[in-house]
Amino acid sequence: MSGGLLVLAALGTSLFAALLIFLLPERAFRARTGLNLGAALIKLSLVAWMVWGLSRGREYAVEFAVLEELAFVLRADALGIMFAGLSSLLWLFTTVYAIGYLEDSPNRKRFFGFFSLCVASTFGISLAGNLFTFLVFYELLTLSTYPLVVHRGTYRALAAGRVYLRYTLTAGLVLMIGMVALHALAGDIRFGQRELLAEFGPEDRLMLVGLFWVLIAGFGVKAAIVPLHGWLPRAMVAPAPVSALLHAVAVVKAGAFGIVRLVYDVYGIELSAKLGLLNGLVAVASATILYGSLRALAQQELKPRLAYSTVSQVSYIVLGVGLFGPLGTIAALSHLLHQGLMKITLFFCAGNYAEELGIHRIDELDGVGRRMPLTSLAFTVGALGMIGLPPVVGFLSKWYLGMGSIQAGMPWVIAVLVASSLLNAAYFLPLLDRLWFRPGPDHGVGEWPEERRLGRLETHAWLLVPTMATALFCLMAGALAGLPFSPLEWATRVTNVEYLP
Amino acid sequence: MSDAPLALTLSVALLWPLLLLLRVPLMVALADRGRPAILIDTIWCTAPLPALALALSVDEGALVFDWWLLGGHWTLDGTRGPLLTVTALLWLMAGIYARGYLAGEQVRAVAGDGAAEARLTRFALLWPLTLSGNLLLLVAEDIASFYTGFAMMTFAAYGLVVHSGTRDARLGGCAYLMMAVLGEGLILAGLLWGAGSIGTTTLGGLRQGMIEAPGGVWMGLLLWLGFGIKAGIVGLHLWLPLAHPVAPTPASAVLSGAMIKAGMVGWLVTLPLGESTAGDPFAWLGRTMLAAGLVAAIGAALYGVCQRQPKAVLAYSSISQMGMITALVAMGLIAPALWPALSVAVVLFAAHHALTKGALFLGVGIGEHPPRLPAWLLWTLLALPALSLSGALASGLAAKWVFKTVLYEGGYPAVVTWLSLAAVGTAALMARTLWCQWQDECQAAPTGSMPLVSSMPLAWVTTLLAALTLPWWLGGELVEGGWPPLAELPGLLWPLALGLLGSVVVWAVARRRALRFIHRLPPGDLWWPLARAWQALRTRGQVRLARLGRAQAGWVAWWVARERDAVRALDGMTRGEEWLRHHAAVLMMVVAAGLALLMLFRLA
Repeated sequence: MSGGLLVLAALGTSLFAALLIFLLPERAFRARTGLNLGAALIKLSLVAWMVWGLSRGREYAVEFAVLEELAFVLRADALGIMFAGLSSLLWLFTTVYAIGYLEDSPNRKRFFGFFSLCVASTFGISLAGNLFTFLVFYELLTLSTYPLVVHRGTYRALAAGRVYLRYTLTAGLVLMIGMVALHALAGDIRFGQRELLAEFGPEDRLMLVGLFWVLIAGFGVKAAIVPLHGWLPRAMVAPAPVSALLHAVAVVKAGAFGIVRLVYDVYGIELSAKLGLLNGLVAVASATILYGSLRALAQQELKPRLAYSTVSQVSYIVLGVGLFGPLGTIAALSHLLHQGLMKITLFFCAGNYAEELGIHRIDELDGVGRRMPLTSLAFTVGALGMIGLPPVVGFLSKWYLGMGSIQAGMPWVIAVLVASSLLNAAYFLPLLDRLWFRPGPDHGVGEWPEERRLGRLETHAWLLVPTMATALFCLMAGALAGLPFSPLEWATRVTNVEYLP
Repeated sequence: MSDAPLALTLSVALLWPLLLLLRVPLMVALADRGRPAILIDTIWCTAPLPALALALSVDEGALVFDWWLLGGHWTLDGTRGPLLTVTALLWLMAGIYARGYLAGEQVRAVAGDGAAEARLTRFALLWPLTLSGNLLLLVAEDIASFYTGFAMMTFAAYGLVVHSGTRDARLGGCAYLMMAVLGEGLILAGLLWGAGSIGTTTLGGLRQGMIEAPGGVWMGLLLWLGFGIKAGIVGLHLWLPLAHPVAPTPASAVLSGAMIKAGMVGWLVTLPLGESTAGDPFAWLGRTMLAAGLVAAIGAALYGVCQRQPKAVLAYSSISQMGMITALVAMGLIAPALWPALSVAVVLFAAHHALTKGALFLGVGIGEHPPRLPAWLLWTLLALPALSLSGALASGLAAKWVFKTVLYEGGYPAVVTWLSLAAVGTAALMARTLWCQWQDECQAAPTGSMPLVSSMPLAWVTTLLAALTLPWWLGGELVEGGWPPLAELPGLLWPLALGLLGSVVVWAVARRRALRFIHRLPPGDLWWPLARAWQALRTRGQVRLARLGRAQAGWVAWWVARERDAVRALDGMTRGEEWLRHHAAVLMMVVAAGLALLMLFRLA
């Protein structure tokens, strides 16, 4: 298959699947399930083919001109395919989980249709070759996730959807303004053509710096940088698969990925360092890390606590981007993958608790470890990874961030990392204590809010298996980090190939 | 030993406890409904055996493999080997003891007590996990493995501390966890800073590189404090007297015997001890460590004799002994030339303390269910480790002799005097422990005594014997220190005599006049005022945060009100459009008339 065709095919699987799902009647459960899983598997295999092909030196790109000086470009490079690989793999798990989660609920056709559109948008974002294409798929992502956020249709869901749209549409507008201004300044910049902006002399410096921060503001809303993060905790009203999607796979990652592309492929790390932009990024990231963790401490419900934890953790990626040097880059790129794995595990577990036992608040978690041991084990693995304890994979991100901060000459960042670890411990360890060491309804103390026995094991198999799989991946990615295809090795290879000065 | 057998043995030693851990849920799942499986059985007790076998058979070896974390590197050498032996032995004996100790709870669980069953399952799961962590950190040479083992051991032990679920246990667990997390943070900071500046992933590289790295002494300080929380240095020891007494006896034995040594191991592997090129800042760090160690040694003894529970007294004794070890380790920074000889003394002292303290803790539990032995024999056996810890017998005497000779020959008699004063405190603490045990036994209702050949007494006696005969079987180097000649004995035994004399005097005084101030000295000393201060701070902080929250809500509400106004204005415009449409005709005529008038005026 020629390069362009393969890219279009991978993109097309989800678009085609979305179309078919919208055409199928609401009651065609089995057909829809088969379609979803089939599309996810086909996409994963196509992405794997592209990874193999890229390692052999093949090119995969498709482009056509929209205007005279503006092109729509989809190109697979090392960084993009890494992100596409992550999203495809986690996509598969989320699909399985969503099928189990939404069993017997209404409007599944609508849900899965927009679900597939969402994955198509994420794939487009990962393979976008310039800011214009990126923006197109970025906006498509916003529009396809809105119906997922308001899926339940309750008053709170609609209010959350309104807030979500306010934030993300404004962000899209800001991004478009920045993109247009950059285009006016330097023409069509493809990702990787860092020399175009590097040519500008000191008289354009103010413009470059201003445009950078405008674009960061546009990406920062999706990446939940403080103070643009307000939509994320409110979007917790969505069903658990949507939260998993938003936090681990698609939306927040798209924002962080945009920042990575901006600093490494548009401006270039050296120009960014020269313009003093990296210090600002590190400051913003540090503030977000600490603020997110502090707000998480104050939450009484499980999903908002996890939401603020996401706010804090995604800024590790921005922090890594801001640290000049290959170690910081490795930290940022690997944390993109690590945080996805850990967060998706935690949200799957939260969804399991909500579905099986009706648990939404933290003080309802007493004694759950006995009733749902496998899910609680997965939750423990995810939580320990967030705190940064080896051998779970979160430790490796912290390690490389620490190394990168010394390499970049900012040793105070280690204090931020340690404070963040302490705060993470402060809000995750009490949850683990409640899960395992407090007596609950299964020991005769109190009652579950709303118990539904969904399966022969502790809950429905479709809900349990993805949770265990992602938790296992968290452990393996950490303990076996030295093997050739671990996320860390992948990130190191991308850094060595693309970003070494 | 060549690579392949060593790799196999080392992997088995570390994996075997984890396999036993996995066996527990399998047994729970396969057990019949209504007949819970016996989880703490003979196979479960064999968890440390492969490690013990490894430590006894291998003297030196190394294993390097790339795929583990950041690159795995595990070794055994002259320091780690003896510590691994003693740790594995203590865990083995404590495990066998646990089998007997928890037999009552096991019976209750089989009879249908769900809470007992849950507690036992947790114990059966977390004990091997803590053991694995402890073993891993002893053989780890790369930083990631060491941190993994340390973290695994620390966090799994929480479950052992809160085993009984009482309020005191939960408080002890809370104190333990909070300080453990703080310690992990400090250790992480030191490791990241050190490894980053030096550019290494191994502990050896960290040790060497810390000397030249800019700010190296601050890295050393962070690591000393971080590991010191585990080792119970003064000021950071608050969790020890709260956590050790409330854990079940076998868990207390390994907490006090093996796990606080992990803090010392942390110092030994990360600090540049014995490096003569270390420079002045490190000498100052050493002096701080020395002062802290001696304050801990003497202060803990003074506070500990006021405690009323034997386990609390033993906890303070652990702090005191670790203070002495801190002082000895500090000499490695102050007088690097002495370190090769002193490190032998430190290892011997640590090993001696591990087994002896283990024997003492197990003995406290023995007092509650005494075996069928004549009373004089029982009390002699209880008193022997106490005497050994005070430095009057067997391994205690040997350890004391070794470090005394080294320090005298090195020219530090003052340190020896201070350590001897601390030994006076130890003697007093040991007397107090035995006294409290005697009191408890007098007041306790007589429960059935158990046969001598059963888990608990066997484990206790074996630990006792191992502790007393330590210098002979631990390793060649350590016996070279030899035994003190008879002429030196008074110089070594006077602290014991003084301590005993002091105890007798205080006992005589207390019989006349009750020393009521003792009741106002709860275990945990500084914890209580700190907890009260924190509560006060928290209430004030919450008031401020509530105010901030209200301000933020007001700000958001203002913006929402503006948005509502804007929407209303837009709606108003629609109405305006309606108005225009209604009056369009009239408006048009007015405009036409106006234009006509204008034209008339212009033409005119």
